[in-house]
Amino acid sequence: MGGQNSQPLGVPEQEAIMAETGFSQANVLRLYQRFQALDKDEKGCLSKYDLEGIGHLAVNPIGDRIIDAFFQDGRETVDFRTFIHILAHFRPVEGSAGSKGINSRLSKLKFAFQLYDQDKDGKISRAEMLQVLRMMLGVQVTDEQLECITDRTIQEADEDGDNAISFEEFAKCVEKLNIEQKMSLRILK
Amino acid sequence: MMRPAKLLAGAFGLFRALPVLLGTAALLGLLPVLHSHALQPEPAGVTPPAHSSRALVAVVESITTAPQVLHESRPGSTAPKNTSTAAGHGKVRKSFPVLEFDYKHVRIPFEIALWILLACLMKLGFHVIPTISSIVPESCLLIVVGLLVGGLIKAVGEDPPILNSETFFLFLLPPIILDAGYFLPLRQFTENLGTILVFAVVGTLWNAFFVGSLLYAVCQIKGTGLTDIGLLANLLFGSIISAVDPVAVLAVFEEIHINELLHILVFGESLLNDAVTVVLYHLFEEFATFDTVSITDIILGFLSFFVVSLGGVFVGVVYGIIGAFTSRFTSHIRVIEPLFVFLYSYMAYLSAELFHLSGIMALIAAGVVMRPYVEANISHKSHTTIKYFLKMWSSVSETLIFIFLGVSTVAGKHRWNWTFVIGTLIFCLIARVLGVLGLTWFINKFRIVKLTPKDQFIIAYGGLRGAIAFSLGYLLDVEHFPMREMFLTAIITVIFFTVFVQGMTIRPLVDLLAVKKKQETKRSINEEIHTQFLDHLLTGIEDICGHYGHHHWKDKLNRFNKKYVKKCLIAGERSKEPQLIAFYHKMEMKQAIELVESGGMGKIPSAVSTVSMQNINPKTLPVERILPALSKDKEEEIRKILRNNLQKTRQRLRSYNRHTLVADPYEEAWNQMLLRRQKARQLEQKMNNYLTVPTHKIDSPTMSRARIGSDPLAYDPKPDSENLPIITIDPASPQSPESVDLVNEALKGMGHLPPSPEEDEDEEGLVMRAKEPSSPGTDDVFTPGASDSPSNQRIMRCLSDPGPRPDPEEDEPFIPKGQ
Repeated sequence: MGGQNSQPLGVPEQEAIMAETGFSQANVLRLYQRFQALDKDEKGCLSKYDLEGIGHLAVNPIGDRIIDAFFQDGRETVDFRTFIHILAHFRPVEGSAGSKGINSRLSKLKFAFQLYDQDKDGKISRAEMLQVLRMMLGVQVTDEQLECITDRTIQEADEDGDNAISFEEFAKCVEKLNIEQKMSLRILK
Repeated sequence: MMRPAKLLAGAFGLFRALPVLLGTAALLGLLPVLHSHALQPEPAGVTPPAHSSRALVAVVESITTAPQVLHESRPGSTAPKNTSTAAGHGKVRKSFPVLEFDYKHVRIPFEIALWILLACLMKLGFHVIPTISSIVPESCLLIVVGLLVGGLIKAVGEDPPILNSETFFLFLLPPIILDAGYFLPLRQFTENLGTILVFAVVGTLWNAFFVGSLLYAVCQIKGTGLTDIGLLANLLFGSIISAVDPVAVLAVFEEIHINELLHILVFGESLLNDAVTVVLYHLFEEFATFDTVSITDIILGFLSFFVVSLGGVFVGVVYGIIGAFTSRFTSHIRVIEPLFVFLYSYMAYLSAELFHLSGIMALIAAGVVMRPYVEANISHKSHTTIKYFLKMWSSVSETLIFIFLGVSTVAGKHRWNWTFVIGTLIFCLIARVLGVLGLTWFINKFRIVKLTPKDQFIIAYGGLRGAIAFSLGYLLDVEHFPMREMFLTAIITVIFFTVFVQGMTIRPLVDLLAVKKKQETKRSINEEIHTQFLDHLLTGIEDICGHYGHHHWKDKLNRFNKKYVKKCLIAGERSKEPQLIAFYHKMEMKQAIELVESGGMGKIPSAVSTVSMQNINPKTLPVERILPALSKDKEEEIRKILRNNLQKTRQRLRSYNRHTLVADPYEEAWNQMLLRRQKARQLEQKMNNYLTVPTHKIDSPTMSRARIGSDPLAYDPKPDSENLPIITIDPASPQSPESVDLVNEALKGMGHLPPSPEEDEDEEGLVMRAKEPSSPGTDDVFTPGASDSPSNQRIMRCLSDPGPRPDPEEDEPFIPKGQ
């Protein structure tokens, strides 16, 4: 698969990327092709508009958050290195990967936490939780129910009583979940 | 404690089913009657065999004779007329029949309609009695009904109709295949195409040869009476019986809801193996007439496989393109759009059958090729019509097929040979298992998502045989194949076995094997929420990563598609639409979300402060250190809400289900979004009621209306202001910088959008205005769109410029102009 290189240029900074993310060369190439396919105007970087053009993301309840995760620090565009850096979070964990590496459990959790915590204050406030829940639940849920659920959720997780979920509390909540499996894409192996 | 209630419900259901059953019984009784009548020359002079029809005939007789009597009593008036007519036409004078019984005239359509009606009533009946249909799959019940009907007809003394191969292949099979092909989940299909092809081609070949040769070996055993069946005949039989049947697979699988991957594998295999079956069948049928088989024949056979399959696909593609092209011009005659789809697909099927190519593959290819372009061209209603018609036809077809299978079992001449039948059964099962195991071992080397042993078991177990095998067997020429009846018996036995035994047991087996979902009972609410969140996240990332593997040429195909093909086949500017529609939908959803969760925002950059919000919002629960023990009901309720409402990620849970129309994900999201907007409006109304921001004296609606009327700025958003959100949110929800950005983007996005065609929603589109509950006597002129209450207006002013720049016009609305 890595043999046929129909791209005119090679993947920029390929070695660095491979070292950083742990992707195989074939995968880097494939993701680069995807990057180029998404980059319709061939600017060399992706804008939000490009990512929003992915149809299925439009109907994903948290599609916007996912897109925003690529554009951190208020940037307008994302280059390939950042792109693949983020995707590297979803590499499957191999056995004894330990707690280093982008695709470790800790790193995955941090990434997920970021998606909840929009204002980057290190906590998931009640309002943010409400937002997320509203996005995910359908319209059949009334507002009272939603408020109730939100409160219950925060109460369950909150340990230091600040009515918000910090990262540690979040990690504790999900420790029973198989994060390694839930946040891994097999095709990114 | 639930038992009596259940029994009662069951009894009640039975009671409700009674009229259906009675109607069906009446129909069943009518069938043999009509059969017998068709064979008689005139109705009046024959004694019909069935007792129930005697009364009918007597009634008819009396009616026909009555006018005669009447007529003779008034001879005078009619005599001259009669003689004149008699003289003019030379007809034998007989009384004018007021009521006639002319069955021959309508016989065939009548019987066809009756059979179809029977099929539909059966479907009705099964769903009325839910307990049985949960244990026994519908196909089994239908076969049983067919057996009963066949038995009934035979008992009456008539010949029940056998499933005519012509009827089957030309009329009953195409709707099912077209339905399957048109709604084929293309992405999963192409992702697994390699696997499917391997199973279909290699698997079927393996099955055919294995069964055929082993049966030949069995036949050679002296004493079974089968020694006259040659190798070729056995191989022919093997090829007939080895094909997995799409009808049966669909019928059984859709009730058990296995995951999409397995479904597409087995189903795809059943579709694609048609080519192999056709080739093998014709091959062996031809060869059986020869005495010797030479190498060239074998090579030709090998070649013909490619011709048949690729030719079939080619024919389908050609017709699909023509169909798509035609649909480009139908914008003025929307009504016949569905008909084009059906006709072109059917023609593709018939054309392929004309050349002995694979009709099924042609049909599928036509449906798949046609669909994206046709859907872009046709109206929404035509789209719905196509969906409904296809589902309807395929449902009825399937029902009829199974009923006829049952009837044919009773009707056909059978020759039961224990060795042959049992041998067939056992060899088929063994061949299937071995085939699947071997092929999976081979395929797993190349697959990323490996097939687990459980998957393999289900694939092996799901290899059902059905009516196609029967029809193929029926087509055999008795001259060349004197053992045809035995073949048919064996085929029917295998079909019955697979449908009944395997069909009935597959559901409990799947439940048994699918252990995963059962364990978690007490997941915390957090865990549930986070699990769903992560699911969505993963799906999103998957979408960003794009499809696996076939990426390269698929992209090329897509680009080719977009550049050339779409321009040809899609009318006008619609070729660009879908992406923008999605964008538009998304914008709408975003705004709806912002509106709805307005109660919970934490950041307030504008004048209306949190104070008012806190006053309004009485629902904040007190914070407690320890987890308050919510009552069990409450907790249960929360869990239930979560379970039912968490938006499921798309692929995991919804596999192709025949009986429900496949919902477009955009459509669903759109509907959800519309509902949200409604809720948003309701929420705003509620909020408006709470708001008391008396800044000036407004009293009568007239004055406020006058104010609005005189102030043009009340309506028009300032188009030049950079940060102007057109959206007027209810007062308690201040704008956050993010939402402002959204709307800006929306504005930009809107600029490029073509006017959306048939949105029956009011075309406010992105502009949402706070609607007040209409005050009595409100003039219609002013209500649409504008916010009536001046408080809203003031807020609108406030919010319209979230920047620190004070709004110089803020005071304007409150100065009544010209008042």
